[in-house]
Amino acid sequence: MKRESDLDVVAPDEVGTEAPIVEKVYDITGHTKHPLSSLLINPDVFTFEEKAQQEKVLVVARSHWVTNVGWILTAILMFLAPSFLNLIPLSSDIATRYKILGGFLWFLVTFAFVFERFLSWYFDVIVITDKRVIDIDFDNLLSKKFAQANILMIQDLTFKVTGFAQTMFNFGDVFVQTAAEVPQLTLERVPQPQKIIMVLQMLKEELGGKNVK
Amino acid sequence: MLNNVDNYLLIIEKIIGVLAAIVYAFFALIVVKQVQTMSKNVKDIFNPLLIVFAYAHLIGALVLIFLALTVL
Repeated sequence: MKRESDLDVVAPDEVGTEAPIVEKVYDITGHTKHPLSSLLINPDVFTFEEKAQQEKVLVVARSHWVTNVGWILTAILMFLAPSFLNLIPLSSDIATRYKILGGFLWFLVTFAFVFERFLSWYFDVIVITDKRVIDIDFDNLLSKKFAQANILMIQDLTFKVTGFAQTMFNFGDVFVQTAAEVPQLTLERVPQPQKIIMVLQMLKEELGGKNVK
Repeated sequence: MLNNVDNYLLIIEKIIGVLAAIVYAFFALIVVKQVQTMSKNVKDIFNPLLIVFAYAHLIGALVLIFLALTVL
């Protein structure tokens, strides 16, 4: 019986039905762990506006989840702040209507803060397809940055893992040197940067080999 | 005399409160637009949920205007 799932969370039922290049990516990175994972491998439900029709999305990477810990802790404190209002002297003198309005506004602002930070993490993605590597960044409503590098134009791949958090949680920056107009693409705070590099190297060999043939 | 001053202050307070709530509602509208634009560019499994959250936030902002009008 064919099992249907929107995300590739486990190995496919029928081994060998994926394209060889996808199987090679699985061999390097493993499979997607869960839908909010920082690393999505061969996602079924992911696409982007500039994607070509025959182009296949192989890897989608977001900043490692640990980069969100700061704002999550801030949000928890913001959420709990109203419960400490009684500790402030004279707070009982504040009229109830101000407390109602102030409390509602405070939770709305907290929600907006959490939502904006989540959007900033969720929509800043690095996409590796079978043709190119793409960095999509949204700074705000009016600012979108789209940078890409053709896999065959990649000349050099390096990565950098610095500091306690990056070493502990294995994330860092990947630098993609290309022979194109944009000489370097920086993929920031990606999880498992060494595996990202291995995937890009494998793709370069595969596509380079196909071109030679 | 003092009563009149109190009344004026309350009116001013209400006007400021409502104006601030309206400004916040504009911000909430921008957030909805932001999520729609982002969702158009990058399509993933949680996009519909994020759009729902954005609209819920906008509704919350409209409720804030209502509260400012009635409570203040």
